[in-house]
Amino acid sequence: MSQKISLLLDSQLDADDVARVLNDLSADDALRDRFTIYALVGDTLRGVNVPDDGFSTRIFARLRREGVKVEDGYNPLA
Amino acid sequence: MQADSELVRLAQSGDQLAFEALVVKYQRRIARHVARYVPLASDVEDVVQEVFIRAFRGLHSFRGDSAFYTWLYRIATNAALTFLRRAPFEEQMDDSDEEGSNSFEPGVSDHETPERILMASQIADAVRQGLARMQPELVDALTLFEVEGKSYSDIAQMFDVPVGTVRSRIFRAREALAKRLQPVLAPQRDRRW
Repeated sequence: MSQKISLLLDSQLDADDVARVLNDLSADDALRDRFTIYALVGDTLRGVNVPDDGFSTRIFARLRREGVKVEDGYNPLA
Repeated sequence: MQADSELVRLAQSGDQLAFEALVVKYQRRIARHVARYVPLASDVEDVVQEVFIRAFRGLHSFRGDSAFYTWLYRIATNAALTFLRRAPFEEQMDDSDEEGSNSFEPGVSDHETPERILMASQIADAVRQGLARMQPELVDALTLFEVEGKSYSDIAQMFDVPVGTVRSRIFRAREALAKRLQPVLAPQRDRRW
């Protein structure tokens, strides 16, 4: 399964596999951790070697807390 | 396959987990970009949060004409410049005037702590040591993809191997480095995705 996580990170999975892997990710803390570490590996190689320190989870918490939804007609570049 | 197209399509349909995967993938690159404009680390986190909130709300406006990262990058530029226009100049300056206060620090709510500086150093060391002990073909595959931006098929052509071999090499390289990083990152496990 970890290889599928690696392929998900690199956009190398087809649509069915992406849905399946996301489903697995939703139920498996260790897999989500792997995905996070793989992303950190890439960033470290690019010279951005900082620990996550809860940064992403604070974004996700805010999305949920504020009930943010995908909105028709909203242009984030406007 | 266009980069991120399936994750983006799922996120557009309201799949928050797909969006979260995109955040995990791009958060540091976006934070580094924002930090070029926004001096204080605490403000960088606020602006980056705003970037991803705006991106999620506006996912329907992303048509795939550019890469998803390019779209995020443009949102980040706009958000950072908006921040600069709104914040009084004095408030953008760091009163403590500590060296390095405007360095890239995603996820830090105040100044960089010694613990985080140490951890960043340990992460870099673990990756360097992992690369030093890895088979060269694994190092080449991973760095060509992650650093040089080569595609899997480009790398396969360069080394005259099937794309499946490139998949395997990149995965094995990541896995070897992940094993070295796990002990370093263990103290923060409960704060990660």
